[in-house]
Amino acid sequence: MYWEESIETIKRDDLDKYQIKMLNILINQAKNSTFYKKRLFNYEKINSFSDFQKIPFTTKQDLRDGFPYDFLTIDIKEVVRLHSSSGTTGNPTVIFHTKNDLDEWSNLIARCMYMAGVRKEDIFQNIMSYGLFTGGIGFHYGAEKLGAMTIPIGPGNSKRQIWFMEKFKTTVVHILPSYALRLYTHLQEEGIDPKKDLSLKIAFVGAEPHTEETRRKIEELYGIKVYNSYGLSEMNGPGVAFECEYQNGMHLWEDNYYAEIINPETGEVLPDGEEGELVLTTLKRTAMPIIRYRTRDLTRIILGKCSCGRTHRKIDRIKGRSDDMLIINGVNIFPMQIEQILMKAKELGANYIIEVQKENFMDKLYIKVEINNQFFNGTLEELERLQKHIIEELKNEIGVNPIVKLVESGSLPQNEGKAVRVIDHRK
Amino acid sequence: MAHQLSIFVENKPGKFEKITKILGEKDLNIRGFSVASSGDFGVLKIIVNNPEKAFEILKENNITVSIRNILAVQIDDNSGSLHNLLNILSTNNINLEDCYGISVAYNKSAVIIIEVEKYPEAEKILLANNIRILNDSEIYSL
Ligand SMILES: [Zn+2]
Repeated sequence: MYWEESIETIKRDDLDKYQIKMLNILINQAKNSTFYKKRLFNYEKINSFSDFQKIPFTTKQDLRDGFPYDFLTIDIKEVVRLHSSSGTTGNPTVIFHTKNDLDEWSNLIARCMYMAGVRKEDIFQNIMSYGLFTGGIGFHYGAEKLGAMTIPIGPGNSKRQIWFMEKFKTTVVHILPSYALRLYTHLQEEGIDPKKDLSLKIAFVGAEPHTEETRRKIEELYGIKVYNSYGLSEMNGPGVAFECEYQNGMHLWEDNYYAEIINPETGEVLPDGEEGELVLTTLKRTAMPIIRYRTRDLTRIILGKCSCGRTHRKIDRIKGRSDDMLIINGVNIFPMQIEQILMKAKELGANYIIEVQKENFMDKLYIKVEINNQFFNGTLEELERLQKHIIEELKNEIGVNPIVKLVESGSLPQNEGKAVRVIDHRK
Repeated sequence: MAHQLSIFVENKPGKFEKITKILGEKDLNIRGFSVASSGDFGVLKIIVNNPEKAFEILKENNITVSIRNILAVQIDDNSGSLHNLLNILSTNNINLEDCYGISVAYNKSAVIIIEVEKYPEAEKILLANNIRILNDSEIYSL
């Protein structure tokens, strides 16, 4: 049942004490870095979480400003790995690991995978990108730690993916949700029914936002269990929080991370159950500890005990990034909500732009979305019907009446994950 | 069966030039067209001398295009004949989806492009009513 029963089912009291102990060790360690030496000048020993919560937050900007070595606490010769964010603007965020840091991280991912049902006997096909991106390598090391045979295939080349799945009877995959859907059409083209012809049991999806409907759809198409995970490169990568068999919230590993939910406007710490921004502190990373990191991800702690017996608290599916939230005539909107609706319509392409501007003292929401060439039937009536349908769906979802403009395919910037999709002219 | 191309266009300057340029470079000539628009976007329908080729070329250029069946009928160039044509269709329960005239100088008569739901039936009915339907080569060489 458990990878590490004593830790996963630890009593809350003991977990709290353990966290206080680790936070003190962490503070001492962090003081070895240029950045925290200054910041933690006044902090000697903490005896409670409220003591700890007096320490200022660390932001993404702090990490960027500290590029490359201001957060490093040890001699570079002890560092065995570096991971880096894509850094589309300004300095990238660079994270360093010692050998022991990597072992701890791998163990955490092994714990996650084991929790979802992966065992030594399983064949794991890792369909995520390797490289600076933490998703592929993170799972790779975790699966090896667990003892499952790992196929480091990486993404793309559907024919080869399917060939490996067939020949080696792959039982577990780690895959982008969008790719899982695309791969299914390739399977169909080759006349393969994944339910009958493949041995798949479990899929881990992540690295891109996706809806609950997408997860259920993948489960249904492949006849497997699909698990959500949460992670971010600043906190190693995947493995921060993970779903158990009950698929109802993600257990956040509190022996490795100290988690708080705050009001993103005021910075005030919120009680469990309330929605706010997730703030994380690494408890075990030596090379580069990060204290009270503002993830910008909005979620809440799910109240109540989990039937699986694990005592680590669960966080809800990430609702959006606090940076991304738009307030339109007093209504809070996340671009992801809009994307979900647009992605459902096959007549629309993947590229869109959201624009907000003031007109007659009112906020106006414009959504430009490309037409999908393949599904254009050639009549104006069909286009008008599509436009009306999208506006209706959006109004129901976000509570704001948008102006939807259908535009030509290829006329908007490519959707490459990090592309700027929201332009707020009010700023 | 004759075809037209139906193209998704945004209402912005330079829109049609893009299409005519792509087609012109491949020696494809537009024989007739109609535009229906709805605010920010619309649909451009064109009759071109080689619709299959034009369709492929536009697709290669990432233009949102679809190829649709049409009937091209010849009517006399006077006010009563269009009414007569529409009347034949409606009395026979043929739903007219779209219709536009493309040439008034064809043997002193007009050519009307019509889109309907049921082609074989429409064709039969029009022929039975002595309406002349242009064949493919006649249309494409207009
Ligand atoms: Zn659980």
